[in-house]
Amino acid sequence: MGRKILLVEDDRETATYLSNGLGQEGHSVEQATNGQDGLFRATDGSFDLIILDRMLPVLDGISVLKALRAAKVETPVLVLSALASVGDRIEGLESGSDDYLVKPFSFAELLARVNALLRRREARIDPADHRLTVGDLEIDPLARMVRRSGKKIDLKPREYLLLEYFARNEGRVVTRTMLLEQVWDYHFDPGTNVIDVHVSRLRRKLEDGFEKPLLHTVRGAGYMLAA
Amino acid sequence: MPTTLRIALLAGALALVSNLAVLGFIQWRTHDEAVSAQRRLVVEQGAVLSDIYRTGGMRALADGVEDSVTYGDPQTAVGLFDPAGREVVGNLAAMPRTRGPVREGYQNALIRFAKQPAPHEAAIVAHRLPRGEWLISGRTVGNGLALRDTLERSLLIALLVAIILGLLCGLILAQYVGRRVGAIVAVTDRITARDLTRRIPASGGGDAFDRLGHRINEMLDRISALMEELRMVTDSLAHDLRSPVSRLQSAAHAAAETSDLAERDQQLTSVVRQADSLMRMLTVALEISRSEALTSRSQFAWFDVGELGAELSEMYEPVAEEAGTALRFERPRDPTQLFGHRQLIAQAISNLVENAIRYGGRDGEITVSVAQQVRQLAITVADHGPGIPEERRAEALRRFGRLDSSRSEEGAGLGLALVSAIAHLHDGALTLMDNGPGLRAVLLLPSTRRPEDT
Repeated sequence: MGRKILLVEDDRETATYLSNGLGQEGHSVEQATNGQDGLFRATDGSFDLIILDRMLPVLDGISVLKALRAAKVETPVLVLSALASVGDRIEGLESGSDDYLVKPFSFAELLARVNALLRRREARIDPADHRLTVGDLEIDPLARMVRRSGKKIDLKPREYLLLEYFARNEGRVVTRTMLLEQVWDYHFDPGTNVIDVHVSRLRRKLEDGFEKPLLHTVRGAGYMLAA
Repeated sequence: MPTTLRIALLAGALALVSNLAVLGFIQWRTHDEAVSAQRRLVVEQGAVLSDIYRTGGMRALADGVEDSVTYGDPQTAVGLFDPAGREVVGNLAAMPRTRGPVREGYQNALIRFAKQPAPHEAAIVAHRLPRGEWLISGRTVGNGLALRDTLERSLLIALLVAIILGLLCGLILAQYVGRRVGAIVAVTDRITARDLTRRIPASGGGDAFDRLGHRINEMLDRISALMEELRMVTDSLAHDLRSPVSRLQSAAHAAAETSDLAERDQQLTSVVRQADSLMRMLTVALEISRSEALTSRSQFAWFDVGELGAELSEMYEPVAEEAGTALRFERPRDPTQLFGHRQLIAQAISNLVENAIRYGGRDGEITVSVAQQVRQLAITVADHGPGIPEERRAEALRRFGRLDSSRSEEGAGLGLALVSAIAHLHDGALTLMDNGPGLRAVLLLPSTRRPEDT
């Protein structure tokens, strides 16, 4: 099921690369090469997602974003930027973007984030049942209770948050940086395999004693929770 | 030199104004004094004659008037007039002329002496006697005026001298200031022409010029240090990037040349890994520069460092366990609020913890603690690894100063430099100490005041 994505990016090579990749995933991509044009197209609100480069000619990405939000256009926005510092990331997020990705990035990382954002939009549209189920795994966010095939699984608070985030992105690839940002709220790049360690602990708790794996490693991208 | 001239003129003008004020005051006062002295004399003289009349009657008064004319100085003007205005005795030709009729008491008038045609200005006292006669007694004011003329002339000369002296002082002052400033300008000119080693000489007096020179020297020291650091960073960046870039290059070449798909795949994976590692180095290097440039202070806020430490310890605890060691967090007893950049402090702590796990693992547990000390917070990460010898600790804090390049492929030794930069951003410092055995990294952050915004 393809979605309409607006890509505002002045670098022709990057734009073509992203546009082709997203096209292969079944999305229809419209392109703008400067901030003013991007803002003009974005204001009609017909897009499901806007991918916005931060450094743009005529009007920079942050200004476009602020103008969009001021005009009450609530389309999810993913900001791409070569500015990697923590301060820049936070400024990007605070100016109204839904996610922030630092260049260079792998296409897998971008795709994972695009899908997560599109998914969030879906979730916003239909009021979800408060229970989350993935195969025989059942999560009750209110009671913070997790069961698999009826058997209760004890999780530490952070492990629970990790699992809930996976479950809300069921069937979608979630990258390590997404986990660090969303579950731990840290916006830097750790030098160690800290995320892998936590995921493998969670996996052990979810899968020990069961035959069917739930938490899958996606090579070169991250992880995915799927039945 | 126009500046010198301006200063000289300014000094001259100031001298003029202040002298005018002083001389004006003198003139006003002396004038006043002269007039009141005159008045006193006139009134006394009048009183004496009135007394004579009271005690001796008309005859005695006529004698008294004649005596006054005979023995008085040339300024004395005395006359006794009958009711018709004719002089009975005295040295006056006629009744004094005043504005309006002559009144009782002290007044100014024009008088004419007998046998002198020209009238004189005078101050007089007029006294009407019971039978209608007028007793006039006074003094001309000509002499007082002459004295004032002399005084005014001297004051004018004094004024001229003062202006000339003022201009002269101004010139000397301007010369002096010009010389001192000129010395500083000469040095800064030489510095501008790329001789950063020159410094402004001090006169030793500790005056404002010395302080200015001192400030400029301090500024130059700072600039030199920064430039030296920049040069070092550029050099070491170029040097340190050389090997990952060449590895990247050879892997890319190998991938391009091979026809074996599996081999190509493997080489491409290596290309991606090297590129990632390069990117990480550049990101951290950039992050350090930004921390040092203090650009992140707009995002400062209050937060609890102890809570953050607990959170990060919980996050790294399993990593430490996998590495074969244990991580223990010592909970602070007091609240540990800090006005700072939460994300950067988190990054600093995690860098220290990651270093401890990477280099200090296996030989005992790692302890993380946050403590409120006097006016500062101490965040300590201690391990029992090999530590860093004292003489190499400064090097460890430098950018790209990784001590043992063979030990790890990742990290590139930027970790401690970044932590140090983050500490500086918070007006604090990172110190490395001996943990006997092991390394004890202490991050000291001032906690009582908000760092000033730049």
